[in-house]
Amino acid sequence: MSPMWGSVEQYSTIHWSWAIAIYLFLAGLSSGSIIVALLVKWNRHERSNSSIWDAMIKAGSVVAPTAIFLGLLLLVVDLGRPLSFYWLLIRYNITSVMSLGVLFLLIYTPIVVVFMLLVFERSVIKHPFLAPLEGLINLVKSFHSYAKIIEYFLFAAALCVGSYTGFLLSVLYAIPLWNSPLLPILFLTSSLSSGVAVNILIGLLFFKSTINTESIKYLLVLDTRVILTELPLLGLFFIGLFYAGGDAPSAAKAALTEGFWAGIFWLGVIGVGLGLPLLTVIVALRSHVYRVGYIVINSMVVILGVLMLRYYIIYAGQIYLG
Amino acid sequence: MQKQYRLLYDENLCIGCQACSIACRVENSVPDEVYRVQVHMQTMGIFPNLGMHYERLSCVMCENPPCVSVCPTNASFQSKDGLVHIDEKSCISCKYCILACPYHARFINPLKNVVEKCTFCYETRVSKELSPACVSICPTDALTFGDMRQSNSLVYQKSHKEVLLFPKAHLGTKPKVAFIPNRKGAKS
Repeated sequence: MSPMWGSVEQYSTIHWSWAIAIYLFLAGLSSGSIIVALLVKWNRHERSNSSIWDAMIKAGSVVAPTAIFLGLLLLVVDLGRPLSFYWLLIRYNITSVMSLGVLFLLIYTPIVVVFMLLVFERSVIKHPFLAPLEGLINLVKSFHSYAKIIEYFLFAAALCVGSYTGFLLSVLYAIPLWNSPLLPILFLTSSLSSGVAVNILIGLLFFKSTINTESIKYLLVLDTRVILTELPLLGLFFIGLFYAGGDAPSAAKAALTEGFWAGIFWLGVIGVGLGLPLLTVIVALRSHVYRVGYIVINSMVVILGVLMLRYYIIYAGQIYLG
Repeated sequence: MQKQYRLLYDENLCIGCQACSIACRVENSVPDEVYRVQVHMQTMGIFPNLGMHYERLSCVMCENPPCVSVCPTNASFQSKDGLVHIDEKSCISCKYCILACPYHARFINPLKNVVEKCTFCYETRVSKELSPACVSICPTDALTFGDMRQSNSLVYQKSHKEVLLFPKAHLGTKPKVAFIPNRKGAKS
């Protein structure tokens, strides 16, 4: 029964739902995978095999544009008025992180598409349907002397895309669980983790001929370091909330102890997303026996954990207001 | 000349009749199940030492509105008089402002699919020198509305006489709606 002042449903509606959680995940996945591809390109290139492109670079160059396009599509469809999305492109508000995100994505998305075309240049030219793109590829290649600078620029743009999703939430002081300065760095860190995982997964599944086991070892070590950074970051995130004053401590307490989402945090985010991969490293990969089965499962588990972290933050933030 | 509007809500005079809510619905064609304004009541204390606590839930027209700074299309904007409005045409209904509002004043109008909230009845009443619908209907004069720049206005005089409480003032939003807290009865 409603109280005499009427329905109070509008005060507890979940305004940003699964679509936003998945978008945050996909934006992170995209930026993470291109960052990882660039790291492999810069650090592992000289030991590459027959093909000039390592499987990890190929995977990143495919995942980055695919994930960001899927994410953006989801984001637009999720708007209350999807057909009005063009306002985002013609009006800007520099104090709005959403507007800044649009700017970052307008820079980032074309570059990752061009990066993919360059990596798959031979396949593109062979394909009659894609042949018209050859001109574009040749145009881009004429700038090859600036390649390193463009790569650094792409790296910076990817860092912006990976962290803006955190700022998007952290600027809202109405929502205590989001209003933490650690959220952007937490999201960026987990993006990197998902980037390593997805590149290994896609590389193993589709680009096996150009796999370089040294690169995979390099990435697995990198991922272990990232996870070992993410765990204390999550700790600091909640410790920060407990000492933030206002509604934050009670919101943080509820988010860690009450209901479905507390379960998702402990079992999903901590257990599956961070605990299992660490366990795999300690038990199965310690002796440098890199079995494909373990690596594939490990990658899927990491990706699932990162997705659950986004879900948890999005929902718990709106539910536990203190 | 620019205005400095203020709306006073006197908890001592409110009887919780919800006439303000009904007047608002009629004036602004607010769809069923959503509200631009609600007055919540809570009985405090243990019998026979009781007291009523009232709370008006609506837009407080912040001087520093978080909903305006987060809006990516500037659909949520602040007028010269400091009132916060929504341009329905350029609202893409991304709901960022709803999440940014610490007063939970915003909601989606299910018929128009745009974000909506209290406007102080600016278009239909205040711009024509009338009071907002909720103020004019209130049977106990618990609501007072006016321009703080005019020292002969009732809102000015009442503001200088009473102890005012600005909701969630610690957030630095500088609301233009102020509460005159209840002086009588049990407080908790």
